Amino acid sequence: MAEPSAAGRSFDDEALPHLDALYRVALRLTMDPTQAEDLVQDTMLKAYRSWRQYRPGTNAKGWLLTILRNTFINDYRRRKLEPIAMDLEAAEPHAILRQIADSDPEGNFFAQIVDQRVLEAIDALPTEFREVLVLSDMEGLSYADIAETLQVPVGTVKSRLFRARRQLQGALYAHAVEMGYIRPRTG
Amino acid sequence: MGQTIDCREAEARLQDFLKQELTPELAVEVRGHLDRCRRCFDHARFEESFLRMLEARARQEVCPGRVRDRILQALRREAERG
Repeated sequence: MAEPSAAGRSFDDEALPHLDALYRVALRLTMDPTQAEDLVQDTMLKAYRSWRQYRPGTNAKGWLLTILRNTFINDYRRRKLEPIAMDLEAAEPHAILRQIADSDPEGNFFAQIVDQRVLEAIDALPTEFREVLVLSDMEGLSYADIAETLQVPVGTVKSRLFRARRQLQGALYAHAVEMGYIRPRTG
Repeated sequence: MGQTIDCREAEARLQDFLKQELTPELAVEVRGHLDRCRRCFDHARFEESFLRMLEARARQEVCPGRVRDRILQALRREAERG
């Protein structure tokens, strides 16, 4: 249905395979299924209209996610209150992670936490952390692609990722203790 | 080779190492440290299981067929509009 780009690859072939990824990222950014649907649709329509600007052979997923994120910031972000940033690292530098890794080096406790709880913990991260974590660790974008998508230096991507992962690990650990999956180490 | 970094630096670079985002030289340094240090090796296993868990959870969520259809329809309307 869509017209081919300069190189002949059609919008359908290049963009549609990334619909799942766009939907997942939209869900994590909006934290609302209805808004996520609208965001993905807006993104696909914008991408379709500016398809001639896509350089064939470059990273289509990154290109689409950039459009999605810009659309989110411009049209969606203000609708929802930001979650309050809770910085575990500042409270207890490195101690928590060491404690978890020492008591469960295989990371077995992760397997016991249900999907929904993991997603809720991700949604509870501040947006700046949530978006790098989702793009890198769930959607597999390289640090360089994320830097381009977010328009920040690679070093910023790295430090945000580091803190995002620590915070998520801490939240999942706290949940696992609460549920009795693991016993907290004392002393 | 691989003798110069300590636990502190290895820990700071561990995630980037696992995501294959280090330069080859730094990756060799980190790998060398992990071969020598049991504690950091355990830490690396833990970080790896965390990253694998996230990848696995991500794949379980797909765009619902109803949403896909709705978007395809919107694109078709857009195409017809020209």
